[in-house]
Amino acid sequence: MTAILTLRDDAYGVTIHAKVEELARPKTASLGAVYVTLDRLEDKGLVASWLSDPTPERGGRAKRYYRLEALGERALQESAITAKRIWDGIAEIWGKEWANEWGKRWGKEAG
Amino acid sequence: MPGPPQLLEALVGLLIPPACREEVLGDLHEQYTGLAHYVADALSTVPLVILSGIRRTTDFQVLLMEAFVLYLSFWGAAKFEDAAFLNDRLGLLRLAIPAATALVALMLEDAYAMPGKRGSLKAIRAPAFGLGMALVSQAVLSVGNPELTLPRWILWCGAGTGLLLVGGVRMRFPPLADRPQGASGPAFWLQQASGPMILSPGTLRFVKGAGLIAAAALFGALVGYQPVVRPQVLVLAAVVVAVYQVRKWKL
Repeated sequence: MTAILTLRDDAYGVTIHAKVEELARPKTASLGAVYVTLDRLEDKGLVASWLSDPTPERGGRAKRYYRLEALGERALQESAITAKRIWDGIAEIWGKEWANEWGKRWGKEAG
Repeated sequence: MPGPPQLLEALVGLLIPPACREEVLGDLHEQYTGLAHYVADALSTVPLVILSGIRRTTDFQVLLMEAFVLYLSFWGAAKFEDAAFLNDRLGLLRLAIPAATALVALMLEDAYAMPGKRGSLKAIRAPAFGLGMALVSQAVLSVGNPELTLPRWILWCGAGTGLLLVGGVRMRFPPLADRPQGASGPAFWLQQASGPMILSPGTLRFVKGAGLIAAAALFGALVGYQPVVRPQVLVLAAVVVAVYQVRKWKL
């Protein structure tokens, strides 16, 4: 869902896969796993999709674009808050210096 | 950048369920950098796409019911045709093989069904395909492991009864893709064809009548402890159903 959110109007299979791989580094994810996840998110009503017009660079085939639904945005907010709580909990034990160092490292990676 | 060979793309397209074929083939085409990469991509993507299609189109409660009635059909056929078969060391396992094959074929038929397409015989088509695959699996088994196959009459009687019973289950509980979708319903492609179900009144009457005749005949044979369903019992069952239909029509 983070990938769909950040890609805005350009969220379809290939771009979502690339963004997921970027976000999940150093782990990798297959295109098939991305489809399975998108199907499940759609079945739960968290994302919606529609087919675009066919394009020649895809052999004349359409793209299926995705966007976050209101329910999906809410679920993503809850996940972000949970992640923040986990982060704060770890930082409390391992110290602010550790948290700052990792924060900088991630900031560099994200560019 | 040239695309993948058309023949290979067509082959991959055949394996992908129609509901998502367009976008998956397009994405694989867009990611194409070479033949080996395309094949590796397709091999890692297609099985997951098929599994996802099965998950989306299978209602596991209904699947359990279908498994039960399929096994019951073959078990019932064995009981009537040759009760000693059930005491065979591998008897119950041999009954499970065609039932399991039919069940897997049913799941695949649902996953590969064209979304939104309706037909008056759709409720019967999937069971017919499933049981057809069960018969094929028996033919294949008879070449390599004949000791695991069913005797011919048990197989045909079980398949016939299974066809009627699974057809009945599917009329009462249509596949997920054929059910009208509510506001909280999933998936764009399941929503394409919400509308009234399925069989025309004439076909429905025919299928119901055939089911009733088969059920009455089996019941008659069970009561009379007949080893096979005799023609007299079938005729009697048909007369009872016909009288019932005439009375209902007149009322």
